[in-house]
Amino acid sequence: MIVIDRLCYQSGLRYVNASEKFAYAVLSLVFCLVSRSVWAPLLIFSVSGILTVGKGGIPLFRYIKLLLIPAGFILIGTAAVIVNLSEVPLDAFAVPVGGWFITGSRASVFRGIVLCFRALGAVSCLYFLSLNTTMTDILGVLEKLHLPPLFTELMMLIYRFIFLLLETASSIMISQESRLGGRNLRTGLRSFGQMAASLLILALKKSGKLYDAMESRCYDGRIRVLSRENPPKPKEILLIVLFEAAAAAAALFL
Amino acid sequence: MVNEEKWMIEAEHVCYAYDGMEKKALNDVTLKIAGGRKIAFMGENGSGKSTFFLCLNGISRPDSGRILIDGSPVEYSRKGLLDVRRKVGIVFQEPDDQLFSASVYQEISFGIMNLGVDEQTVRREVEQVIRELGITPFQERPAHALSGGQKKQVAIADILVMHPQIMILDEPAAALDVRHTKMVHEIIEGLTKKGITILMSTHDMDYAYEWADEMVLMHDGQVICQGRTEDVCEDETVLRAAGLDQPAVLKLYGRLTGRGVIPRREHPPRSLKELEEML
Repeated sequence: MIVIDRLCYQSGLRYVNASEKFAYAVLSLVFCLVSRSVWAPLLIFSVSGILTVGKGGIPLFRYIKLLLIPAGFILIGTAAVIVNLSEVPLDAFAVPVGGWFITGSRASVFRGIVLCFRALGAVSCLYFLSLNTTMTDILGVLEKLHLPPLFTELMMLIYRFIFLLLETASSIMISQESRLGGRNLRTGLRSFGQMAASLLILALKKSGKLYDAMESRCYDGRIRVLSRENPPKPKEILLIVLFEAAAAAAALFL
Repeated sequence: MVNEEKWMIEAEHVCYAYDGMEKKALNDVTLKIAGGRKIAFMGENGSGKSTFFLCLNGISRPDSGRILIDGSPVEYSRKGLLDVRRKVGIVFQEPDDQLFSASVYQEISFGIMNLGVDEQTVRREVEQVIRELGITPFQERPAHALSGGQKKQVAIADILVMHPQIMILDEPAAALDVRHTKMVHEIIEGLTKKGITILMSTHDMDYAYEWADEMVLMHDGQVICQGRTEDVCEDETVLRAAGLDQPAVLKLYGRLTGRGVIPRREHPPRSLKELEEML
């Protein structure tokens, strides 16, 4: 998560209008999911990858590593669709085990492969969004979509304070470690508990102070802020529309 | 010189105790501060400086006594508080307690948006303060990727963009490196030129001596001395009572005049440079 956050601030596509990127990611995701062949997901997967690595400048190695995380889950999930345990062998493959067969039908193999591509395509859409768009920009889009302010304000505060919490936790752990707090499992567990407890107290204190600081800037229960806008470019919108049309056609007719 | 009738800040017998605490954090604080001045608040940790600051813009409400800002007493109604906070801005000691947004631009726009200004003005003001305080090079970075000094710059911009009449800086140079301390001092100098009244708490006696028009010494929730910086720093007994030491320049000046190396002047030197010129 921290890696993705760090990468998105360096992305070459960071200053592209966030609504454009959001629209691309969400529409592509939908077409990926409704597609019944591998073609639309394949198209979307390649374009998202090329955009993220080529235009966004995310290192290829990093991107592949990030893709491998969900890929593991996807493969396991797909295996469950393809592989059956049956008394009669099916048409695609069959491995006899005792009186039974580990087997699969052609249809289920095909379904598994399509499923695999659909999932990977969908993941690539989400990676495209999160590797090229900062959290603050995504929140801006959600606000424009009229998500209740309670949610967006909470997300904004959580996003800011996740990092402070992690920082505090790691400095507490370092100071525990330097006093042999992780000497063995027993002390390690106790140290962790103490760390969690003091983290809670610190977080409470911090929230009180933050509230004071916000109040002193005339906070009235509603966080109103402005962001710098990256105006949408007609050319980019046109390209997105064309691509989505192609993806839709591929998803529905191929 | 100063119009005696017109005070920017008046505190009359202000007492304040934190919830559930026997001891008063502020014990009968009375002081007057004229507009456009530079005031250094000095004293040990826990002497009541920060608590007093929080009272000045209505975050903490005194248990007794009252506070007047620009001639009118602080009112604790919704509108009254909005009014006083518009006039009195506080830059908190720890920027991480103040910055709530990951985006620098959003962060700075928060205060001025709350003043009900139209969007165009907000954008213009935010852009201007970003340029003015040298935030441009790191304005696109998230708050968690900023250094302590950069966060401090943003924290000052947060308040400056609201154009307060009084700006309170709670230990602005705490935990900053030399370069950023200098930068913060330069920014503060610029604020004075705009006519903003500045209240700053600090433990850096040498800097306070050079910078401040007036000093307020606090100890145990009380103001034990308020006066012109020169006069306060001459008085070693009162400095000691506040747990402070004379500024180095003044000490050296005292020794040099004592030995007859240089003659006594009407005004003692305020900085090393001034002392050097005397020699």
